[in-house]
Amino acid sequence: MSKLPIKCPSCEQHLHVSQLSCLTCDTLISGSYPLPKLMQLPQEDQDFILQFVLHSGSLKKMALQMEISYPTMRNKLDDIIEKLQPNL
Amino acid sequence: MILLKNYNPTYKTMKTILFNPFKKYQENTLLAIGIVATLLGSFIGYIFFTRFDGAIDLHFTPDINLWQPFIDNSINIATLFVVLFVLAKYHNKKTRAVDILNAVLIARIPYYLVPFLNINNTISRATDQMMAIVGDTININMAAIPLSSLLIISLFALIALAALVWYIILLFNGYKIASNAKGSLTILFFCLALILAEILTKVIIVNFPY
Repeated sequence: MSKLPIKCPSCEQHLHVSQLSCLTCDTLISGSYPLPKLMQLPQEDQDFILQFVLHSGSLKKMALQMEISYPTMRNKLDDIIEKLQPNL
Repeated sequence: MILLKNYNPTYKTMKTILFNPFKKYQENTLLAIGIVATLLGSFIGYIFFTRFDGAIDLHFTPDINLWQPFIDNSINIATLFVVLFVLAKYHNKKTRAVDILNAVLIARIPYYLVPFLNINNTISRATDQMMAIVGDTININMAAIPLSSLLIISLFALIALAALVWYIILLFNGYKIASNAKGSLTILFFCLALILAEILTKVIIVNFPY
């Protein structure tokens, strides 16, 4: 699956969605929609959040399954929280 | 070669085990290994006449009691733990005590290997031989220093220095993971905390003989 680009390769600014299409009836919607906060995160962080939700929010369970220590997991989550803070 | 190092999983695993086990292993495993290593290290210190008389200190001594290396290590670990835990809490309120304790316990393992160099009092004898010659500060006869003593002490200095570097790398990595500390000031504060712990342990061990 191709990777969704989140930043402009030219100026490094966040990209907006300018076109959406329905694959069934070919309807096209044009506009300027900002990407949701979560989608602006790097793929690695999005995967982490997905795993976090799938593990019912248990960092301990995640740490055991991924064979990474608990503080490493918690630090990763703290870094993501910092990235998601408004005005940062 | 550099590329090989970056992509070789065995190399990465070994590097993690040796320099940053805190990244991979769970707290219970680290705590168990740390406690066993401390007990073994203290006993090794007793067998090879070694006092751990400071947070980053180690000396060979002609006389030793069984409990001395154990108390030395308890004081060093407790002091390092308190100093680093206060610093880590100041930086990040979520820091857990067990992670800082594990960092201190595991980081000291390289130091427990140094006493092995004093098998049969090799280092003590070489040092005594050298001190007998250089102790006379007016007429130092360098040629009188046996080459074997010089080689033994130089080799010991190199290995002890390597153990110290390994110890500090482990302690810093453990501290960083426990506190999620980042930025250039982290190293400065960490070094200051280490110096403070060394001063405190020296004061405690020297002023309360046991």
